[in-house]
Amino acid sequence: MSKQEKSANPKITKRDLRRAGSRYNFMAVNLFNYESQMGPAVAWALAPILRKIYPDDDEYQAALDNHFNYFNSTTVMSSMILGATTAMEEKDGPQAKEAVQSLKTSLMGPLAGVGDTLVWVLWPTIIGSISGYMALQGNPLGAIIWLIANIIFWFVKVKLFEVGYTSGTKLVTSLGSKMVLFTEAASIMGLSVVGALIATVVKVTTPLTFQFGKVSLALQTGVLDKIMPALLPALLTLLVYKLLDNKKWTPTRIILLVIVIALAGSYFGILKA
Amino acid sequence: MSSIEILQDILIILLAGFMTVDQNGLVIMSWFPVIVGMITGLIMGDLHTALVIAGTFQLMMLGVAALGGASAPNYGLATIVGAFVAIRTGTGIKAAIAVGLPVGLIAIQLEVVARIICNFLAHKMKTDNQQHKWQTMRREAWLGPILFSLQTAIPTLLVVLVGPQFVKFILNAIPTWVTNGLTIAGGMLPVVGIGMLMHYMPVKKFLPYIIVGFVLSAYLKVAVLGIALLGFAASYWYFTSEARKVKEAVTQAAVDEDGENYDE
Repeated sequence: MSKQEKSANPKITKRDLRRAGSRYNFMAVNLFNYESQMGPAVAWALAPILRKIYPDDDEYQAALDNHFNYFNSTTVMSSMILGATTAMEEKDGPQAKEAVQSLKTSLMGPLAGVGDTLVWVLWPTIIGSISGYMALQGNPLGAIIWLIANIIFWFVKVKLFEVGYTSGTKLVTSLGSKMVLFTEAASIMGLSVVGALIATVVKVTTPLTFQFGKVSLALQTGVLDKIMPALLPALLTLLVYKLLDNKKWTPTRIILLVIVIALAGSYFGILKA
Repeated sequence: MSSIEILQDILIILLAGFMTVDQNGLVIMSWFPVIVGMITGLIMGDLHTALVIAGTFQLMMLGVAALGGASAPNYGLATIVGAFVAIRTGTGIKAAIAVGLPVGLIAIQLEVVARIICNFLAHKMKTDNQQHKWQTMRREAWLGPILFSLQTAIPTLLVVLVGPQFVKFILNAIPTWVTNGLTIAGGMLPVVGIGMLMHYMPVKKFLPYIIVGFVLSAYLKVAVLGIALLGFAASYWYFTSEARKVKEAVTQAAVDEDGENYDE
């Protein structure tokens, strides 16, 4: 069978694409390992669609082998990348192998940077702070909105596999540059919220009071709040931010440090809940 | 123990197990405390208490993300276990933090173990592919989600087996300054996520916006949603003006290129 016949006979249907998209987005990090990270999930997700492209057993095996290689990116973005590589494999067959590998490797890093910031950092921070405060009052509305949004995102992610397939490598590449600007713009919104979070979410207060004869002065309301509201939270944020510069201070270690400070503060009566 | 309690126990363990599978793939409820907490509240029959606990852990989690294969404290698991113990024993939010926080921190270790085991599974799948045993390869992939679900199901199972009453007994034996200290830590811990968040983001480039957000909140007491909207306004303005600049630069470059082509 010549290649021409293969491409003249498009076997991949919308249903195949949707299936591959949902398989990938379901498995994602569920086969995560430190050696090839998302590689096995990619191979597993693409197995049915690749079988359609490669009826020949050896070609199919080689294609799967290729996808077992190291891969890691945000699922939203890699949906598009893998859609595009599927189109390449359908068009060029086994010859596409090198191009598929290099497209995956060259795009997964930059697109993950953009995708992770949007999907795992900015969005959960903004919706999380709003719904978190609602939940503190016993109001489930924020949680419900978040849940519905996530269901919509699922369909978007699956759809993006199709988008990657139909629009191909060009769009994926050019979208990359536009996404960088989009992430920057979104960061502005994120950082405004971060400023607000420092003042409201981080809670450190001291019960200490000074006695000058008959006059007593509460350190918190009499001194610190007069200098600046939320002064202690701001200083604590600065400290953690600086500590994180140091590779030795992993987030887990800093969490333990904060717990130790809090326990000591509680024991000596320097901090209050 | 009533049959309803047994049913609740089972559902809580299943919820904890499914949470990781969902977080690793579907991301419908993921490990976000408010969503997971809401479901825990529905199972335990006390939505209000569960939501208050979930809200507390949600604020601690802000900015915490497990990026690029890194591991982070599991505040979702902390919410499930914390709310379970607090509701079952009638103890409040302090108990939820004292139980949930350590469990959420310990779960990180289990994630590392699960990923190491998954390495063997990956090799097995690869070998099966080479031997053209594709049916087996595709079937054994399901061991992955099962393995990862254990990472949160096992700690929850242990808490359920040990029994919330026993947990309550231990909590009562702990001195007050310790539980108070953990509550203080609960108030301070959101700082870790916020610090991490600032590390992912272009803080130096957009420093003014942090200051604006801080002042609006600390001095003027504007609610988070209001500040998010103002932030959106600023980012909208930034995006449109920068996109125009990029477009101009591109058309300029295109014109230059065309010019060169004509020279040839």
